[in-house]
Amino acid sequence: MIKIEHLSHVYPGTRKTPSRMAISDLSLSIGKGEFFILSGPNGSGKSTLFRILCGMTLPSAGSIRIDGHDLLKNPAQARSLMSVVFQSPAVDKHLTVAENLRLHGDLYGLNGKDLQDRLAEAIAWTNIKDRLNEKVDTLSGGLARQVELAKCLLTRPALLLLDEPTTGLDPASRRDFVATLRSLQQQRQMTVLMTSHVFSEAEDVDHVAIMKSGLLLAVDTPQALRAGLGREMVVVQSRNAAALELRIQADTGLHTRRHGDEIRLPETENGAGLPILERLLERYRGDIDSISIKQPGLEDVFIHLTGKTAQEIENESNEGTSK
Amino acid sequence: MMQVVFALARREFVRFVRQPQRVIGSVAQPLLFWLFLGSGFSSSFRAPGMENVSYLEYFYPGVMLMMMLFASIFSSITIIEDRDAGFLQSVLVAPVSRMAIVLGKVLGGTAIAMVQTLIFTLAAPFLGLSLGLVPLVMLVAAYLLTSIGFAAMGFFFAWGMRSTAGFHAIMMVFLMPLWMLSGALFPIEQAPGWLHLVMSVNPVAHALVLLRDPFYMTPHQMLADGRYLLALAVTMAWAVASLLGSMARVEKREKGIGLAG
Repeated sequence: MIKIEHLSHVYPGTRKTPSRMAISDLSLSIGKGEFFILSGPNGSGKSTLFRILCGMTLPSAGSIRIDGHDLLKNPAQARSLMSVVFQSPAVDKHLTVAENLRLHGDLYGLNGKDLQDRLAEAIAWTNIKDRLNEKVDTLSGGLARQVELAKCLLTRPALLLLDEPTTGLDPASRRDFVATLRSLQQQRQMTVLMTSHVFSEAEDVDHVAIMKSGLLLAVDTPQALRAGLGREMVVVQSRNAAALELRIQADTGLHTRRHGDEIRLPETENGAGLPILERLLERYRGDIDSISIKQPGLEDVFIHLTGKTAQEIENESNEGTSK
Repeated sequence: MMQVVFALARREFVRFVRQPQRVIGSVAQPLLFWLFLGSGFSSSFRAPGMENVSYLEYFYPGVMLMMMLFASIFSSITIIEDRDAGFLQSVLVAPVSRMAIVLGKVLGGTAIAMVQTLIFTLAAPFLGLSLGLVPLVMLVAAYLLTSIGFAAMGFFFAWGMRSTAGFHAIMMVFLMPLWMLSGALFPIEQAPGWLHLVMSVNPVAHALVLLRDPFYMTPHQMLADGRYLLALAVTMAWAVASLLGSMARVEKREKGIGLAG
């Protein structure tokens, strides 16, 4: 669906700042019907890549094909295939939900019966069905996002691009939004490309790409990325965690960490967790409420690859959005 | 394409009507300007060749011009707000011609200006001015042309701006002087030499001719008058140039620089 070849982008410098390379010789291919997440710290080039993909910025070099159409030379055709959800809401707050949807239909040349059918289809999954005549201003952040997504679905896009669409939503709305998006994507066979720095969102998508300093560090399925890290950790839950931790440290000499009721043993190579688990269970069975081997999450993969913690990413991102 | 233009223009208009402060302000503000300045300067005003004209009457077409300028400024500011809010991006990524984006905004601003000036035209009888049908049509055509010119010019300046504060600066040092030096406030003939020169090259001064003449001349006189025809040509050229300039700006995509080596 998307084929990016040898893409580079250099921002022109000003008198005070030198020119800056944002993307450097990046090639990437995204198949039809995939749910693809692009992540990376601020300044990694993912926003630049996003702007280029939605046809707002022309890169310094390279080519992009959207379903065979050359996006850079012939943007109109590529544009008609895709819909874009931006980080800042692109709905007009002074207009009602219905007016926003119709306006979007007008932009894509929809009218008459076709528009009516598509409107019904686009809002079928939402919670805004009975609020169509209210101004978007009066809706909650989560509902306003639904309007935005409904608006984009109106055009039955083959490709949906989303730029950190869950920024500013509370965790519950965030989860709902991604789950809805995932099911819509599967029902309608859409290709979805979404930038995100919330790793819980990426755990069950088709492919994840991690960018840093304009380069692609990794592109793979979330499972493969996690497995590639090759590490795991034994985690013990106990009512007497504090006492148990001291005993474990004294007996094994391992450097453990405790968070409330939870004791975490140091990370080990894949496969080394099970013998540790068995040994602990043998000795301390009476004190253990539960014991498990935790696989690393995408967040761990990300930290490993970029050398940044999720907290740092979150902070940077908040600075970015408050600008 | 017309579907897109009308949809965008309608949005402008609906937004305008939904903000009562804007509606009231846009009608009341020129009216206050007109009544206060018009009455205040009345005793000291005497234009050469217009001895029987009170300042209130002289200033009348000037206030119309001001309404169009302000309507244009307000609608141009919404370009910057739309960009800030994110609405503009969604229009830019849609498969619509760039020309439609300009025309939609300009027509929306023009529609707002038209409503205001048409309402304001109702004040003419109170000044003792009468309009026949043909001069009225010519006057409305002049409203349309001038409003489009101003709206497109505002668009041209506002497009690349990232902050409304920056646009205010443009407005104060460029757009307002265009109006002040158009003959709206005082006749060109009375201005000192250097100012006279500046005023005579001001395209907006020509638009004022189109707004003033229908009240005082018959259609025959106007169409036989080289001054009127020149004014028409200049105003058209100005409107078309502003539209083309705006389209060129929208057409331009942000671009990366070439790779070294």
